[in-house]
Amino acid sequence: MENQMKRGLLDVCVLAAIKDEDSYGYQIVKDMSQYVEISESTLYPILRRLESSAMLNVRTAEHNGRLRKYYHITETGLERLQNFKDEWKELMQIYEFVTREEKNND
Amino acid sequence: MTKSEFLKSLCTSLHGLSDEDIKKSVDYYEEMIDDRMEDGKSEEEAVEGLGTIDEIKDNILEDIPITKIVKEKIKPKRTLKAWEIILLIIGSPVWIPVTAAMIIVALVLYLCFWIVILWLYACDFAVFFSGFASIFGAFVQNNGFNTGLFYAGSGIALVGVAILLFFGFTQIARGMIWVSKKIGLGIKRLFVGGKQK
Repeated sequence: MENQMKRGLLDVCVLAAIKDEDSYGYQIVKDMSQYVEISESTLYPILRRLESSAMLNVRTAEHNGRLRKYYHITETGLERLQNFKDEWKELMQIYEFVTREEKNND
Repeated sequence: MTKSEFLKSLCTSLHGLSDEDIKKSVDYYEEMIDDRMEDGKSEEEAVEGLGTIDEIKDNILEDIPITKIVKEKIKPKRTLKAWEIILLIIGSPVWIPVTAAMIIVALVLYLCFWIVILWLYACDFAVFFSGFASIFGAFVQNNGFNTGLFYAGSGIALVGVAILLFFGFTQIARGMIWVSKKIGLGIKRLFVGGKQK
């Protein structure tokens, strides 16, 4: 897959990982790694990028006597997710059309 | 490597970035190691699994614009003393033109890069267009059938060459963009990072 495309997709995946409830770095990696390959060090620049584009905000909370950062999705982030879903609905229809013949042949 | 050794060498390798950027990165990796250990990994495993310091550094650098890194590098680490400011003013006829020249050289190099890519496509378009014109010429010339056939044939060949070149040039352009990214990362590496012990 094209690198640029993969980057964009990972951004969306991270947003999806925090859309229902706030999460922290390690949990995000764990949740995502069931579906896509991601490591802690690839997640870091993504989180920073999403933060600087105001798609998520960060709060620090205490956990077991140390600090942990929790990521919360913003309105902009939710919009981005919605856009992604709309775009892919269209793409899936195209995919459907492209593979139509193959299915009929089966 | 223990957690504190890891964090210390991460800190050293990011030397040159703003204090805020360094702190954010170190905090993040500290949290990751703690969370990994809480999940049942040993300290050693938790650190190893994060990858090498160099990989981590490249990941961090990739997203920080080069201008920010350079700005951080030339920013004075403390407030300047009166005599230093006076020296800067006296020296301004020297350092202002030199800095300006350096910025211009960087801009020109950047421009050259895109001009080469533009040039490749312009060449390709020229070949394509001459082929097209030659085909067209086959019909409007009045030197007989043989000449017309020659015009048309060479025109079709040229169009074919142009199409092949287009794919070749696209690969070259991609390669150049890839190389320029690597060079960018290389320049960032020059500015960031202290000596590893």
